[in-house]
Amino acid sequence: MNHSEAATIFNKNEKKVNWHDKALWFVRHKRDKSAHSVEGWEELRNLGQGIKAHTLSNLDNYLIQFEENALKNGVQVHWAQDGDEHNRIVHSILKEHNAKKVVKSKSMLTEECHLNPYLEADGIEIIDTDLGERIVQLAKETPSHIVLPAIHKTKEEVDELFQEHLGTKPCGGDPQYLTGEARKHLREKFVNADAAITGVNFAIADTGGFVVCTNEGNADMGAHLAPVHIACMGIEKIIPKQEHLGVFLRLLARSATGQHITTYSSHFKKPRKGTKMHIVIVDNGRTEQLSRPDFRASLQCIRCGACMNTCPIYRRSGGHSYDATIPGPIGSILSPGKDLTKHSSLPFASTLCGSCSDVCPVKIDIHTQLYKWRQIITKETKQPYVKVMSMKMMGDIFSKPTKFEKVGKVARWSLRNLPKGIINSKPNVWGKERDLPSGPVESFDEWYKNRK
Amino acid sequence: MNGIKTENKMSSRDAILSRIKTNKPDLLELPIINVDVFADSRNIVDEFVLKVEVSGGHVIKASTTDDIFNQINTMFPEGKVKYTTLENTAAFNTVDFDTFKSQKALENLDVLVLESDLGVAENGAIWIKDTTLPMRVLPFITKHLIIVINQTQLVPFMHQAYQKIATEDNDFGVFLAGPSKTADIEQSLVIGAQGALSLTLFLR
Amino acid sequence: MFIEIKKKLKLYNMKVGLFIPCYINQLYPQVGKATLELLEKLNVDVVYPSGQTCCGQPMANSGYENESVGACNNFVKNFNEFDYIVTPSGSCAYHVKKHFDVIPQTDEVTKVRNNVYELCDFILNVLKIKDVGARFPHKVGIHKSCHGLRGLRLGSCSEKVTPEYSYIGELLAEVSGVEIITLNREDECCGFGGTFAVVEEAISVKMGKDRVQDHLDNGAEVITATDTSCLMHLEGLITRHMQPLKVLHIAEILNSVN
Repeated sequence: MNHSEAATIFNKNEKKVNWHDKALWFVRHKRDKSAHSVEGWEELRNLGQGIKAHTLSNLDNYLIQFEENALKNGVQVHWAQDGDEHNRIVHSILKEHNAKKVVKSKSMLTEECHLNPYLEADGIEIIDTDLGERIVQLAKETPSHIVLPAIHKTKEEVDELFQEHLGTKPCGGDPQYLTGEARKHLREKFVNADAAITGVNFAIADTGGFVVCTNEGNADMGAHLAPVHIACMGIEKIIPKQEHLGVFLRLLARSATGQHITTYSSHFKKPRKGTKMHIVIVDNGRTEQLSRPDFRASLQCIRCGACMNTCPIYRRSGGHSYDATIPGPIGSILSPGKDLTKHSSLPFASTLCGSCSDVCPVKIDIHTQLYKWRQIITKETKQPYVKVMSMKMMGDIFSKPTKFEKVGKVARWSLRNLPKGIINSKPNVWGKERDLPSGPVESFDEWYKNRK
Repeated sequence: MNGIKTENKMSSRDAILSRIKTNKPDLLELPIINVDVFADSRNIVDEFVLKVEVSGGHVIKASTTDDIFNQINTMFPEGKVKYTTLENTAAFNTVDFDTFKSQKALENLDVLVLESDLGVAENGAIWIKDTTLPMRVLPFITKHLIIVINQTQLVPFMHQAYQKIATEDNDFGVFLAGPSKTADIEQSLVIGAQGALSLTLFLR
Repeated sequence: MFIEIKKKLKLYNMKVGLFIPCYINQLYPQVGKATLELLEKLNVDVVYPSGQTCCGQPMANSGYENESVGACNNFVKNFNEFDYIVTPSGSCAYHVKKHFDVIPQTDEVTKVRNNVYELCDFILNVLKIKDVGARFPHKVGIHKSCHGLRGLRLGSCSEKVTPEYSYIGELLAEVSGVEIITLNREDECCGFGGTFAVVEEAISVKMGKDRVQDHLDNGAEVITATDTSCLMHLEGLITRHMQPLKVLHIAEILNSVN
């Protein structure tokens, strides 16, 4: 199903659309308040952009430096070319430690690699410990947002889900009660876990350390209790120096939720005594994206989700309508690089309003990239014959003024004289819910000629 | 174990690195951070207090360690499992450190008192590091977290915080802002998700 | 004041070409007329080159940049001799500035790209006029069309932390009798988006409905904008649902006298 079809289905329930739009607009609004309270916000964005762009231009050396330092810190480093290799590496580490019960904090990378089903197939229990992720895991869904995974679910839906899976009492969707019950349920998982998996927000080349940000404390509860900690990161998570965290931690939470910083920004460097720490560095299409000059800036993304919250289309179509691990504007420029045909409708799920680019803390030119993907998609994937022909015709009309004048005349006459029933008949998608302007007798051209 | 090697092929590490080398753009300059552009006129103590409260923490101004512990004892009376890492306050502890070797005992920890030497005004974050932390999990697993910090240890922005940390060698450290929280159910803020249920900050 | 400006313009021998976008030409000629009359009222010598069609945006934004080449060339042919090309459309002006790299960058092309101006931008920043002498005693909501706002930067947008300004707002504020209403969402997209309006019909309509509702909720009688394309989309919804709102391009308001 393409984005438009999925969005049409989502829009059948206008009340839910309004609810979804409002919930995300609220987050965007909090982001505004928070960003506007920072002196030099735009300079901070410039720095974020500049540091990331520099890092990408020297990425191989920074990765080598990172690995060297991580090894010195007593951390084991693994490299995976694709999702499958990533899954095999994680699996083999777990096997090596005979780990059967695993807790995992939020990591979009492991979603991208489909790690959970891979491990579950071998009988390993893997529990997502971020509350939102646990909700979608219990519902057998995927996250619909990278920061707010269960933003598409109402509290009543969560209530029912918890009754079914956690044996909670009906509570009318009381978030306090439901969160409390989830805490008890997850506490038991943390205490008994054989291994913890986390994502990585930032990996620091010159220390070999990495930072994981959460609000719930779930990454820390997992990593500090289990005997094995596996941190999975895409190659683009590298930053050169620890001091650069000063820039990114100022940008990240404010852009994501409007908080001034996440509750926990945990800096891991060495494993604690008697335990093991592993880092898996994953490519999975990133080096290919790096090769595309028009699109490589998409690798600057720090996964704050601000472009989703601001996107008027995302807010009204829901994250699942994108059918991609990363939904929304940033996903729509990342996903075509992985599978152009599958994701060919995504760059068109935008009015090119540009709000995403202006909200982006690292200044990715998202809407420009959407425009550029469109040019590639129409060339490299099969397009409907009608679309191709109509574009050819339009191109021809607009290059010939006399033709343009004639076609305009016919169009205006039709709008004036044809009955509304015909004008708004099925092939005219515009007319389903919108009237067309009534055709004026005179075009501007004609008026101008007759004027003097 | 360095990645999973496929036979007769370049290791994944080398393959990734060589692709990056081929695909990366020409070297771009690394920008220099000029902290001056962020300077605002806010009073850092007031700002810090405000931001700790915004993040869900409570701030109490205090003068002496005795004063602080008297207040804590009033807040958390008898029957609670309490532990402190502050110097000369061992009498406050209701358990030995060794008890934490059992997971169960860890889970029973009610009140943990820690000291920090770095707080950030712009966001209320407090730096807790390995060297002052007998076990990494403690500030997360405790039900109530209390942190003592001196006003003189506050810096305005994260930039200055990292300048200070740069001279240290920490195996683990965390910037902590308020108690654990979530808004994953319909954007309703709930304090006390997987980590500490409350954070109280004593500002000396 | 007007005489002074005329002198100044004559002095600099400013050649101004008027670009009327294709859909305004055919469907909203009144917007073209208002633009021309307004510029003439401000003593600008305006030339309307015949043979103009379209900036090429409809094809290019749909992913068929190649099919827009003819339109781009035609645009350059018509407008390369002007010092200023003025158009009542932020979106078309933006397209010329941003996407005309699809044709070879000759001196003529570069000149055209540099010289194209959206109407409000031209009046305020080139002519340096704020009060155009208009009267319009109504409650007006400004829809800040995205390509003008975030593309041409005709105003500050709510995402960026920059000083607040709005060219259309500054001009409108000087119109006698006008009351500018405040919207709940000051610069959200209306959902037109060219072929987006039909490719993503459901979302496009929903965005438009929400935009109209924001104006109704805040007591607007008229929605104005720098782009008639946004207004055509909103008007289509308003007339279909028979809502008590009118749409007028900013040129029509600035050209009003009663």
